[in-house]
Amino acid sequence: MREVAIIGIGIHPWGKFDDKTFINLGVYAVDQALKDASIGWTEIETISSSILIYGGSAGHISGQYIAGVFGETGIPISNQWNACATGSSTLRTAHLAIASGQVDTALAIGVDMSPKGFLTAKSDNPYQDRDVLRWRMVGMPNPVYWALECRKRMEKYGTTEKDLAQVKVILSRYGANHPDSRFKKVYTLDEVLNSKMVVDPLRLYEICATSDGAVALVLCEANKARQYTSKPVIIAGTAIGSAMYGDPTMRISALSAPAKAEAPLLSESYSASRQAYKMSGIGPEDIQVLELPDNSSWHYLQYLETCGFCGEGEAEKMMWDGDTQIGGRLPVCPSGGFSSFGEAIGAQAVWQVAEVAKQLRGQGANQVPNAKVGMAQTYGLMGNSGTTILKV
Amino acid sequence: MVSGSQGSAVPWLPDLFTWKDGKVYLESARCGSCGTYFFPRYHHQHRPGCKREGVENVLLSREGKLASYTIEYYMPPPPFKTTKDITPYIIGLVEFPEGIQVAGIVIDLPLDKVKIGLRMETTSMVLHQNEKGEDIATWAFRPIENFEKETASIRGGQT
Repeated sequence: MREVAIIGIGIHPWGKFDDKTFINLGVYAVDQALKDASIGWTEIETISSSILIYGGSAGHISGQYIAGVFGETGIPISNQWNACATGSSTLRTAHLAIASGQVDTALAIGVDMSPKGFLTAKSDNPYQDRDVLRWRMVGMPNPVYWALECRKRMEKYGTTEKDLAQVKVILSRYGANHPDSRFKKVYTLDEVLNSKMVVDPLRLYEICATSDGAVALVLCEANKARQYTSKPVIIAGTAIGSAMYGDPTMRISALSAPAKAEAPLLSESYSASRQAYKMSGIGPEDIQVLELPDNSSWHYLQYLETCGFCGEGEAEKMMWDGDTQIGGRLPVCPSGGFSSFGEAIGAQAVWQVAEVAKQLRGQGANQVPNAKVGMAQTYGLMGNSGTTILKV
Repeated sequence: MVSGSQGSAVPWLPDLFTWKDGKVYLESARCGSCGTYFFPRYHHQHRPGCKREGVENVLLSREGKLASYTIEYYMPPPPFKTTKDITPYIIGLVEFPEGIQVAGIVIDLPLDKVKIGLRMETTSMVLHQNEKGEDIATWAFRPIENFEKETASIRGGQT
């Protein structure tokens, strides 16, 4: 396997853009990424793009839409779909194309727009679409799943409502200072604790919104990276993971789960992170900045444990000790996270990698001093996940 | 008030729950090779390497314990469909002796009485009526202990 570097980063600010198309957002991000890498469009040898999901159903093959704007060149374009971890697949495919020696340059694109409100079922056949079951028979939007796991955590480890609210307080400070974020308000603990209860114990400000956004990364074989940029970021490892039998997590879309744990909670993310640690030779103790999938306050706490940054039931202490903030042992989501950006399903996993890459270049909106090694962790429906470890 | 349902109600989707001797049971299947129970019975999740032989339809025990819960304060959008706004309502995760936990709406339980560990039983509830005027139902759970039904968010009838 050849080493691969990120040489260009382009981000379209996140928000709700009713007057734009996903093509507008994607073209903007690709344009920025190409300029950032000082690379010409015709030098790109392959494209891996996240399919436009728009709230759950795999849809438009975005890579072709975007490539057409720049001028079609006949190169391989693949469009990925792996739910909220789609971008992890997108990046992995682009990475593999270069690492294998097939091509020297690649573009990884993540772009999505979201419908208003909860994401819902898109078909009516329960035998092949679990979403039909959970929506019709129980009325279970995604946050219900997070609330069920969060309540278990509260029972097991004594997690409090104050702990959950503090996650938003921390993230809102970073999001407010990020030029690309959607939500810029800084929240106090009282404001979060007084926000509407949505799915007890999770409140409005403790659950991420759905957004529109786009990001593009130009990748290149590492030995050639310095022809394009003085700040290449090396992909030390990138992996996707699926769930393991016996995982007791109530996975989004399922109506049941094993009662007795024979595999770790969020086993798909356990699996992805362990693969990435092995691939990179970098362990959780080496990570200096982390973007994790803060879909809810529960995720923020749980993922610190799932990925091995602290022991089970220790995440709250890690947070209150200040370890997860800039200046602490492991700054978490200095971007402000999904809490400040919202989810744009097809785009978010690539965006997380872009945020970590910017940190390692010293270009973070909220910069972690001297960050040399970082990690982006994702989470997707039905047991799929991805982990990318970067270094400079 | 969203009522519980009699055997005359029609499940909104088939193969998920059934009435036997006037009681409601969840329809599961058990793999004869790896012993795993499935719900719904037609979405199989075998142990890796399992021969996948001898999968038989079975009914889950009627009683279990509440393994987790949430209270939903917003009405989910379609395709969820109830005659009236039933919020706030409890969604529970019930752990059955077969080693499987299943999600469902909880009825006959006041919001301030819900807690992990409560003994629960399977029941049903009417969601809405179809164009023929039939009661369309889903499975639900209710506590075995009787709580003051007047204060429950959703009250059930007979099953």
